[in-house]
Amino acid sequence: MMRKLTALIALIASPLAAQDFSEGSEARSWNLYAEVPARFEARVVDVLCELSGDCPENCGDGTRQLGLIRTADDVMVLPMKNSQPAFTGAVAELAPFCGQVIEVDGLMVEDADLNARNIYLVQRIKAGGADWIKANTWTKKWAEAHPEAAGKGPWFRRDPRIKEIIASEGYLGLGLEADAAYAEENF
Amino acid sequence: MRYALPLLLSSLALPALSAERTRIQVTGEIIDTWCYYSGVMGGPDAVVGSAHHTCALWCSAGGIPVGLLAEDGTVYMVLKIAQDAGSASGDTQLSLAAHTVTADGMVYERDGLNYIVVSEVVSDMDIVTPTHEDYGTVPPFSFPEPK
Repeated sequence: MMRKLTALIALIASPLAAQDFSEGSEARSWNLYAEVPARFEARVVDVLCELSGDCPENCGDGTRQLGLIRTADDVMVLPMKNSQPAFTGAVAELAPFCGQVIEVDGLMVEDADLNARNIYLVQRIKAGGADWIKANTWTKKWAEAHPEAAGKGPWFRRDPRIKEIIASEGYLGLGLEADAAYAEENF
Repeated sequence: MRYALPLLLSSLALPALSAERTRIQVTGEIIDTWCYYSGVMGGPDAVVGSAHHTCALWCSAGGIPVGLLAEDGTVYMVLKIAQDAGSASGDTQLSLAAHTVTADGMVYERDGLNYIVVSEVVSDMDIVTPTHEDYGTVPPFSFPEPK
């Protein structure tokens, strides 16, 4: 009986451990050292709510990090990035789907040297019977929320909060004198 | 044995359904986790401290999760700092970009990642690692040429 039980445990555990989520993925490479294409179904959750029970309405309306609890194995994946190469996260893309089961396609980062596990860059989202949509709306939403910062150049050069901190702490964060010395040496 | 199998199956499911929770006090740098884990800007030593301060501001304001990189190399994903649960582009975490802090809080582990709910920043040591001396600024364009 014990032998049968051991075999059953192995049977149950092995598919989860070795599961490959790359099948059907159309994720574009970012040429990252540890990237792996991954397409899977998952439920969108508020990470803080999931872990601690602190649960505001609607996953915090885009103010909190969101997780993806994968249907296949109940693993909570942390989507860190959207598909824009612009220093932009994934929350704005996933917040409209709080509590819903959706399908995502993108890149998983699995780097044992840095203990990176279940970290994700989401490139596209499919919800319900709708077509796939690109996870690239962050900058548009930022522009709509910051009409006072309209202008040329990327958002991160125009963001009021970033500009205020750099104006007082400098680009190096060590004060304006340190910035001046660095500029003198490097430009 | 009659009850062994259901018990075993339920115990196999438990780790995925719950998160362990531990109170800690930890010292480390508030980092940009995407650049740290992805290697998109270079190795982990280059994406901390003064070299990466401006990029850390960009990523934090952009809603990328910030982490607390402890002295032992453990990264804790920051979910809340005191009363500010704005872990996606929140003001408090933005004000601490690249700072080394000592934080008191509750740690949760789930599926290989550590998360921290900071109840108090016990001390804020500002930026203590002058990595720009070795790496310049990362990425280089984060420090624009003066006009």
